[in-house]
Amino acid sequence: MMIPNPLALIAEITHRCPLHCVYCSNPLELAGASSELSTTEWADIFEQAGKLGMLHAHFTGGEPLARPDLTELVAAARDAGLYTNLITSGIGLAETRLRALVDAGLDHIQVSFQDSREDAANWIAGAKAHAHKIELSRLIGQQKLAFTVNLVVHRQNIDHIEEMMAFIEQLEPERMEIAHTQYYGWALQNRAALLPTRAQLEKAAEAVAAAEKRLAGRIRIDSVVPDYYARFPKACMGGWGRRLMLINPAGKALPCHAAEVIPGLEFENIRRQTLEFIWKESSSFRRFRGEEWMPEPCRSCDQRSEDFGGCRCQALLLAGNAAATDPACSLAPAHQIVEAALAEANSSTAVSQPVAGASFVQLQQRAASLWSYRTTPE
Amino acid sequence: MPPPEDSAKPRLATGCRWRSEKESKASSKPERVILYPEGALRLRDTGLLILEHCDGNRTFGEIIAELEAKFGDADPEKIRTDIGQFLEQLRQRRIVDY
Repeated sequence: MMIPNPLALIAEITHRCPLHCVYCSNPLELAGASSELSTTEWADIFEQAGKLGMLHAHFTGGEPLARPDLTELVAAARDAGLYTNLITSGIGLAETRLRALVDAGLDHIQVSFQDSREDAANWIAGAKAHAHKIELSRLIGQQKLAFTVNLVVHRQNIDHIEEMMAFIEQLEPERMEIAHTQYYGWALQNRAALLPTRAQLEKAAEAVAAAEKRLAGRIRIDSVVPDYYARFPKACMGGWGRRLMLINPAGKALPCHAAEVIPGLEFENIRRQTLEFIWKESSSFRRFRGEEWMPEPCRSCDQRSEDFGGCRCQALLLAGNAAATDPACSLAPAHQIVEAALAEANSSTAVSQPVAGASFVQLQQRAASLWSYRTTPE
Repeated sequence: MPPPEDSAKPRLATGCRWRSEKESKASSKPERVILYPEGALRLRDTGLLILEHCDGNRTFGEIIAELEAKFGDADPEKIRTDIGQFLEQLRQRRIVDY
């Protein structure tokens, strides 16, 4: 089989983070600071990535700003010919550091917001971060780089999505990403509190469609139907080992963010193997590449070249088998697992939505029984 | 949202840029790449020609005039409409600004 060149490198440079978002997609077992790759190790990875034909480097975490050498890392990626994207909460980013990053060649910054309402936003993040993010957005506007605001939506905030989009509009980004929570890691653990109802979702879809029309040419909106409510699963990572490679803080090369949950797969470490070898030869990247591995109904399905059978990690997490059709697919043998979660979310005894105007203290009292916050490694 | 006015000066939007020549692989077909958040446009032939003219200095009117001269006998009205629509679509995607 012809192996296409990877398009982008997801550089998960640290798992340390000052936020504790309840929907974090990081693994429950986080890599500590002592295991993190060094500046020179990352510079070497970016050089290899450029030579292999990759176009983008996405800096993510944890919080990438927790690395004091982030500016050097961005410069190294840019030197290697990569388009550089920083995915950040903005905590730890003052004007001088932002300017240094832009001077080093940062092309794009993506700041996530938890809500438009300060108390609710801080409640979801488990940290007082909201006001700082607003201030940072103003600073970004004065710099020459692309700005995307990422809005994570779920059961607790989706009811006022119009208000949230209007809030983002005044931050003046070029792009707005409406990101429905994906149920991995911490989010899966907190799913009952996060999964929206069908009615919530339908109302939100109308609001997004109206905003797309209103903001056309000014702010581009990217929004995806959450996979639990979709007919077909998402094309996770654009297909396993097909477009993207993730390097975790400790140097493990993963075909998907959550891939470490899959038992029986051995992931190569960039400290011991070249990026090209890992991409082309490693058993982990070959395991679910292409269509050979597919079970029915994927194997004979017209959708298989669109969604690649969905997400392998989700198949493992929900159906207990990484080689099964993603249970989010309406045709999957294990789809009843997702249907059961949806039935629960839409039932009258489901977790309720927060009371409008609740104070931070009220919200925090409620949080104790509602969900667990992401921890941070040493 | 309309196509550009004659006096508008189309350019790559903030955060979108050409991949430098040394990074682009030498190939038989001249191809250049525009990098933008979350994606890349591979350009050749007409698309490449149009966007190379969108440097923020030339007006849309000037770009049309230059390209009409290059395309010789093609219908000028069609050239204008096609290029206008092309730029309008790229503006929707926040890759081009005018």
